[in-house]
Amino acid sequence: MSASEWFETIKYIIGWALRGSRRYYLAAFGLLLLAVYGLYLWIFMQHAPIFLGSDKGGLILTAMSDSVPWGIYISFFVFWVGVAAAGIVFAIAAYVFNDKEFKKIAVLGEVQAIAALIIVLLLIVVDMGRPIRALFLMPRLPNLRSMLDWDFIVITGYLLINIIGMLVTVHYYRKDKPLPAKFIVPFMVIAAPFAIGIHTVTAFISQALTARPIWNSPLLAPRYVATAFASGPALLLIALYLAERYIEGFKVSIDVYRKTLYISVIATVVGLYFTLSEVQEIFWYTTEPSKLAQAKELFLGLHVPYLAVLMWLWVGLGSAAVIASLIPSTHNNKKAIVAISALIVVAVIAEKTFTIIIPAFIPSTLGEVRPYYPTPIEYGITVGVHALGLLIYLLLSKPAIKAVMTHYFKHGHEH
Amino acid sequence: MIVVPKGSLHNLSRSVDRKRRDLLKAIAVGASVAGISGVLVVDRDKLAKNLKRVSLEDLLRSTAEAESPMEERAKKKEAELKKRYSAEAENICREKGEDSEECKLARKKVELITVKATAPRKGVKYAMALDINKCIGCRRCVYACVMENNQGRNLGIEWIRVLEISREESLELLGSNWYYEEIPKKDKVYVPIACMHCEDPPCVMVCPVKATYKEPDGIVVIDYDVCIGCRYCAVACPYGARRFNWAKPVVPIQELNPNMHILGNIPRQPHVIEKCTWCIQRVRDGGVPACVEVCPVGARVFGDLNDPESPIRRIAEEYGLFVLKPETGAKPKFFYFFGPARTPPSKGER
Repeated sequence: MSASEWFETIKYIIGWALRGSRRYYLAAFGLLLLAVYGLYLWIFMQHAPIFLGSDKGGLILTAMSDSVPWGIYISFFVFWVGVAAAGIVFAIAAYVFNDKEFKKIAVLGEVQAIAALIIVLLLIVVDMGRPIRALFLMPRLPNLRSMLDWDFIVITGYLLINIIGMLVTVHYYRKDKPLPAKFIVPFMVIAAPFAIGIHTVTAFISQALTARPIWNSPLLAPRYVATAFASGPALLLIALYLAERYIEGFKVSIDVYRKTLYISVIATVVGLYFTLSEVQEIFWYTTEPSKLAQAKELFLGLHVPYLAVLMWLWVGLGSAAVIASLIPSTHNNKKAIVAISALIVVAVIAEKTFTIIIPAFIPSTLGEVRPYYPTPIEYGITVGVHALGLLIYLLLSKPAIKAVMTHYFKHGHEH
Repeated sequence: MIVVPKGSLHNLSRSVDRKRRDLLKAIAVGASVAGISGVLVVDRDKLAKNLKRVSLEDLLRSTAEAESPMEERAKKKEAELKKRYSAEAENICREKGEDSEECKLARKKVELITVKATAPRKGVKYAMALDINKCIGCRRCVYACVMENNQGRNLGIEWIRVLEISREESLELLGSNWYYEEIPKKDKVYVPIACMHCEDPPCVMVCPVKATYKEPDGIVVIDYDVCIGCRYCAVACPYGARRFNWAKPVVPIQELNPNMHILGNIPRQPHVIEKCTWCIQRVRDGGVPACVEVCPVGARVFGDLNDPESPIRRIAEEYGLFVLKPETGAKPKFFYFFGPARTPPSKGER
């Protein structure tokens, strides 16, 4: 295969990404606007001393402090790492279990992983005090004992794998050729461990710190992975539903929905079970005072009520989703399945953002209670980053699905 | 006082000889005075035992440093700082007039600015200990530290934090009061906390760019030119010792301490982390940290753990040393001990 053909593939992707209806342009433009506004807030306000050398501004505009050194950015970072990790689920179903219906949408999982990983990397960049310095120094002075370096390696590695996966899929499908086995086997062998790896390493960043008792538990990494496999597939189902609705001629069997929901619900059950286990360990007999104090902040919200609200939202919505999925009639209705997926996504956002990160800092290592409420600038930048990620999701899923349709939906109907 | 063995430094030997002659003369005079008064007896052998020998290596160290990359960086920083602060000084002179005290002080400060890169001494392992029975919680160490170490005044950064903890309960940090106003209270203990310069520092393990590291003399330092501001070290530190420059730090020239070390109190950049360095700019030149010097009740002890004669060794043998939060496994080199007397005394009036 020559280079010019690959160039053609890239042209194909860009071409289809920029072609669309009025509604498509409006959505893309809206997301772009939000992203640009976030970028503005970041460069001209939050990082003004770094980029502009000005005396005003700086990370002081956030609600973070020496007591709470990580805030909303790292909170959502954790959530999106989970979503990215679960992108591999469709590919496993398609290539390992050789499910034909899943082959139609495996590439959507890769696109979701790319978008999620871009959000992840951007959230780190906006959080970092000196991002440009980091870009040059992290490869030059790596510290192999630092989990942050390993996280950076696996996240960029997994991003690269997914970009390759998507490119190859589009490349073959657009010419109506099946994916060659000599691509699929090495791809799965490398991608699957990376998928689990990114979330495991992300949990390893925090779980081995004796300074933060509520994190300091070997359950943290399994818990991350469990809820990742709840939120990731659920989000994919929502995206799939939207794609079916807005892309003419793109139809997927309800089997895909049902099987994906099973994965998502089982992962939710495991996640809820882990929460129960943690509650028992912390509250049943006695535990280390600082761990207990942080757990009380999390479950009772003594000084930061929203933590308790989110935590109980997770328990409530998670249980509701599981119970709803037990009703047989929901299994034959795409809308009902997507509704349950939406419940699960909200539940996992509640479980995996502030509720993971913030309790470790309240009370702090020396017992200071300094509540954390993100400032408007933090919200603005977070929204901007998410807008950019969703924009990439939107722009890449279009050509990916078009290529899939060329291969599987010839002449407008399924074959 | 220093005694240089004869012959070890040829170029210095003449002046040293003269000094030594003066010293011997002084001792002779002192001895005769003591002999007459019968109060003071100076034994030359005993005196020699108390004086420390300076090794040739230590003296040559400064010349070797002149070529080190760190020293070159320090020189560059010094030029930069002089430029920046002389502009500020000129502003002050223009505003207040050439003959004003402020102008003179500012110009003097600019002149005094030196950025050192003194390397650690060989075979030295620093440690500090604090007598919890003595500490009255006056926070003078906190303020002295701020004046010594050029913390950003606009950011309110303080490296030392003094916790007021009830004497009746166990020494639990959770309910501690950081913002007490009245001291000393009889039913309280005061526990100053700063960087513990741990043997196995979690902050050093987690730093993704090796910006923070442990020097051979036990001081954990931060290279402000490498720090990327990710704050992972602040998350990993069990003692809450790390402070972040959340904005551009400002130290006015009038408050600047011109005696600086590139790994210590040199004015920081925005968005980098900082913490206690045991006043590296003083300690490496043979001094003690500012907090030790300023403490009005003498609660702090600083010294070399490898030196059997050092005050810290005496405290260790006499009272025993304790660490805060031993369960973190970081092995701090900042110790606490319970000295023989309480301030204020537990009995009698306050």
